[in-house]
Amino acid sequence: MSAAPLISVSQASKVYRIGDAQVRALDEASVEIRAGELVGILGPSGSGKTTFLMIAGLLDTPTSGRVLFNGRVISKPETNLNQLRDFRRKHLGFVFQKANLIPFLNATQNVQIALQINGARRRYAAQRSRLLLEQFGIGNRAKNLPSQLSGGEQQRVAIARALANQPELILADEPTANLDSARGRQVMETFRRLADQERIAICVVTHDLRCVDLFDRCITMSDGRPTVQ
Amino acid sequence: MNLAWADIRHHVLRFFLTTIGVGALFTATIGMIGLYRGVVYETLLIINDVGADIWVAQGHRAGPFAELSEVSGTLDRRLEGVPGVSQVRRFIQFNQQYEINGRRLRMAVTGLDFPKDKGNWIPLIAGRHFYAGHYEAIADQSLGFTVGDQIRLGHDDYTIIGVAAGQVDMAGDGILYVTIPDAQTLNTFAPSEAILLNRMNKTAPGRSGYSAGRVGAVMVALRPGADQEQVRNYIRNWGDVEVLTRDDQEDIMLNGRLWRLRIQILAFVGMTLLVTTVVVSLSIYTMTVEKTHQIALLKLLGARDSIIVAMILQQALLIGVKSFASALLQSYVIFPHFPRTVLLLPSDLAVEGAMAIVLCAAASWFGIRKALSVRAQEVLS
Ligand SMILES: Nc1ncnc2c1ncn2[C@@H]1O[C@H](COP(=O)(O)OP(=O)(O)OP(=O)(O)O)[C@@H](O)[C@H]1O
Ligand SMILES: [Mg+2]
Repeated sequence: MSAAPLISVSQASKVYRIGDAQVRALDEASVEIRAGELVGILGPSGSGKTTFLMIAGLLDTPTSGRVLFNGRVISKPETNLNQLRDFRRKHLGFVFQKANLIPFLNATQNVQIALQINGARRRYAAQRSRLLLEQFGIGNRAKNLPSQLSGGEQQRVAIARALANQPELILADEPTANLDSARGRQVMETFRRLADQERIAICVVTHDLRCVDLFDRCITMSDGRPTVQ
Repeated sequence: MNLAWADIRHHVLRFFLTTIGVGALFTATIGMIGLYRGVVYETLLIINDVGADIWVAQGHRAGPFAELSEVSGTLDRRLEGVPGVSQVRRFIQFNQQYEINGRRLRMAVTGLDFPKDKGNWIPLIAGRHFYAGHYEAIADQSLGFTVGDQIRLGHDDYTIIGVAAGQVDMAGDGILYVTIPDAQTLNTFAPSEAILLNRMNKTAPGRSGYSAGRVGAVMVALRPGADQEQVRNYIRNWGDVEVLTRDDQEDIMLNGRLWRLRIQILAFVGMTLLVTTVVVSLSIYTMTVEKTHQIALLKLLGARDSIIVAMILQQALLIGVKSFASALLQSYVIFPHFPRTVLLLPSDLAVEGAMAIVLCAAASWFGIRKALSVRAQEVLS
């Protein structure tokens, strides 16, 4: 596992200003993740896990430091956030605690939208979406609206959506927090399989220590600094 | 799969109510413009249909429609001798209220110069044109008579021999065509109520005030090839009459009598369109704010701004198109029952439809601005 890192977050800090007060949510954090790696991020509440994910996932720019993909600088403090959208669409997938499905689209369409946004043809998008849902065992739910799905089913649709455009990196923020332990374990096993079979780099923030055995390594955050265990 | 459409289908009831409401506002616009068109049409109806090239009215008066005019009943004979004139007909029109079968009816009594004019230019929907010089009448259908009805006007009974379509004067009163002598008789007969009113209000001029034997104006038709200006100057040189061409009449009516109405209606249309824009803006804005989370998610997934703008614009246009369709439906159902003619001209409807679309597109501006300011991170909040 000494291949070049897919993503490197290098010396990244994030400082939030609220009036006169400053919160250093991320403090010169440097993390590298390689293709096919499943990395867990642990740490107490408020330690900067979500902030790290937002910087690594190009949802926010760092106050200082850089984010590189395959050795190329993609995000730095002066980068325009809107310009990161194209990169996100092509290379990244996200899964959150909440499934964040679009309530007026059915399960298939919720996956399809990610493909259509990326310029996929309608028919191909519909086919691939159904295939993904079947892979996750919810093919029979394809036409259901999110409100008609259980929490676990919704989360599986969200994972299918994250995979739709064949991302190289998936970032997940407490994806199992709303699921019971069996279902949570299933989700983590899915990530493990995706890392092994599809060579996707996956970074999961979690409080659930029962799944740590599935991770290649864990990073513990405290006060905005990562420490490798 | 289309996002705009999917969202609207998810909120069908609200979308339906919005289109009904916005549609009602468009209906009001269509109605106001149609009402103006109707008034113009009715004002110009006789001027356009009667087949007169030149109107000869009382001196210094823009008669007989815009101003009261009264000329000698024998002016027509003088005019017959004018070079270039092919036909001369006398004209008389006044509004009078009658009580017929217990119904109060306002009518625009209009005299035809029988037998030169048998009313052949009047579009009948039943009955026939004039055969006799007395006691026959053609009534507009709005007056509610049928062919064969006997009605008592003044001291005499008149037979309705024909029913015509769309014959009303600029006040909206249905026209009753009779012959000139009958019209003169009716005009001099004043119901007791009118006499009383006249006594109380001696100075007030009224249409129904022609002196015996006089008419409102004389209509002149020219020979083919005759020079209108020449004929006009010839008659004007007599010094005692006013000479107006058909174009003069139109101009006097539209730019003299109707311009205030036109300005007023334009102002109302402007106000209604402004209200419509605000309503649509608010509606689109609310729909967008409610979708903030979804828009943030689309941005998180990497959607370009164009996709998000398209979604909002499409919804605005859908509201525009559906509202206008509902307005058309409402217009065609409601306006025929209005007391005044509401004329729906295809060209007007086309312009109004285009305006509806443009207005809704413009109204999406606030929503679009809001959507573009949403940040992908808001998915997490
Ligand atoms: N938008 C913001 N404005 C100001 N401060 C913020 C903002 N976002 C996060 N913070 C602060 O930054 C610090 C790190 O927050 P972060 O959300 O990354 O923690 P976390 O490790 O994800 O916590 P949790 O386990 O509770 O989700 C916290 O002290 C938080 O209050
Ligand atoms: Mg967090």
